[in-house]
Amino acid sequence: MMLLAAESMTQASLAHALLLSGVLLSIGIAGFLSKRNLIVMFLCTELMFQAVIIAMVAFGRWYWDFSGQVFVIFILTVAAAEAALALALVVLLHRRRSTLDAEAWTELRE
Amino acid sequence: MDPILPYIATAGAALGLLIVLTGRAVAVRGGGGLLGLASLAWLFGLAGGLPGEAGDVAEEIFFLIFALTAVASAVQMISQKRPVYSALFFVLVIMSVCGALVMLEAFFIAFALVIVYAGAILITYMFVLMLAQQASDSSHAGEIPHYDRFPRDPCAAVVVAALVMGVVVSAAFTGLGDLPPAAGETARLQADAALLRSLPGQVKREASRAGVSLREGETAPQIEVEGGDVVLRGQGADGEATTMVLTRPGNTSHVGWTLVASFPASLELAGVILLMAMFGAVVLARREMEHAERELTRAVGGGDDDADTGADA
Repeated sequence: MMLLAAESMTQASLAHALLLSGVLLSIGIAGFLSKRNLIVMFLCTELMFQAVIIAMVAFGRWYWDFSGQVFVIFILTVAAAEAALALALVVLLHRRRSTLDAEAWTELRE
Repeated sequence: MDPILPYIATAGAALGLLIVLTGRAVAVRGGGGLLGLASLAWLFGLAGGLPGEAGDVAEEIFFLIFALTAVASAVQMISQKRPVYSALFFVLVIMSVCGALVMLEAFFIAFALVIVYAGAILITYMFVLMLAQQASDSSHAGEIPHYDRFPRDPCAAVVVAALVMGVVVSAAFTGLGDLPPAAGETARLQADAALLRSLPGQVKREASRAGVSLREGETAPQIEVEGGDVVLRGQGADGEATTMVLTRPGNTSHVGWTLVASFPASLELAGVILLMAMFGAVVLARREMEHAERELTRAVGGGDDDADTGADA
C-alpha cells in the first residue's frame, strides 16, 4: 500500500482516467460499427468492457468506495458468460455459411 | 483555458482514427496514427491543467504511459486486417489497462483481469479464430478474405465514436468540479477501521501474536483511529491497558469484504449466470456436433440419420 502515495485523488487524475475510458469506448464503438468479421466485432465489445472497468475503478477510488471494484467482478462474470455463448453462436453460424462476414446474415432485417 | 480546445483535440483524434482506418499507404496510416496520438496527448495535457493541487508526478506519468499504450494498441486492434493480430493487440490493451488499474490502486482487479481476460477469454477467442480460419482458408491459404480487408462505413463509425467521445470530454472538463471532494486519508483510515471492526477474528490473531489480549466484551469498540493509524486498545500480559497499531487491510480484503457483505445476492446470481452460460454453450456445441456427425454419415454414404442420432444420444 505504501508503494503508491496514499493521498486523495486529484481532479486531473480522475479526468485522465475518464478520458482513457472514453477513448477506449469510442474506439470500441468505431470498431464494432466498421468491422465486418463477427469475431472481431465481439472483441470490440470486450474493448468497451475494458473502458467501463476503468471508469468504475476511477470513480471508486475518488469516493474510496469498493462497490465499483465489486461491480467489475460482476462485469468479468458477464463478459466470460457472453464470450462463451457468443463464440458458440459464431461457430454455429460459421458452420452454416462457412464465412465470418456479418453481411452474410442481412436477410434477417426484413 | 478556452473551453473549445478539448473539442478541437477530440476532432483531431477522430480525424487521425479515420485516416488510420481508411488510408491505403503505410505512410498515410502512420501519419494518421501520429496525428491521433498527438491530439490525445494534447487532450490529456489539457486535462492535467484542471484545478486542484498536483498529485504524485511519477504515478501520473506511469498512468499516461499505460494510457497511450492502451489507446495505440486499441487503434491497431481495429485497423488490423488479420483477426488473429487484432486478438493479440487486444491482449496488449488488457495489459496496459491493468497497468493503469494498478496506478488507480485496484490491485486485485488488475491481476484478476490478467488471469481472466488475457488468460481465459482471449484464449477462447484465439481458438475460435484459428478453427474458423483453418476451415475457410484451406483452399487459398494465407489470403485475407474481402470482409476483413475492407471496413464497412468507417466514416459513419468514426463520427459516432467522436460524438460519444465529445460527451465524455464535456463531462470530464466541466462536470468534475461539481463532484463532492475526493476521499482523503481520513476517509481511508475510517474505512480501514470499519473493515477491521467487521473482522474480529483476524484482529484477535494479530493481537495474540503481539502478546496483546482483548478486553472483555465486544471487539469492535476497542478499534479506533488515532493519529495516522488504526489502533487496538487492548491489555498487555500483565493486565494493564496497552495500545497496539494494527496492520491496515489491503485492497483485496476491502474488495472481498464488500463483495460478500454488501452484495451476497448478486454473488449468487453471478454463479447462476455462469452456470446458465455453461449449459447454453454445451447445448449449442452439442447440436453442432450432431449436425457434423450427420454430414459425415451422409458423406460416407452409409447409415440413416435417425439411427445415428439415436445411437449418439
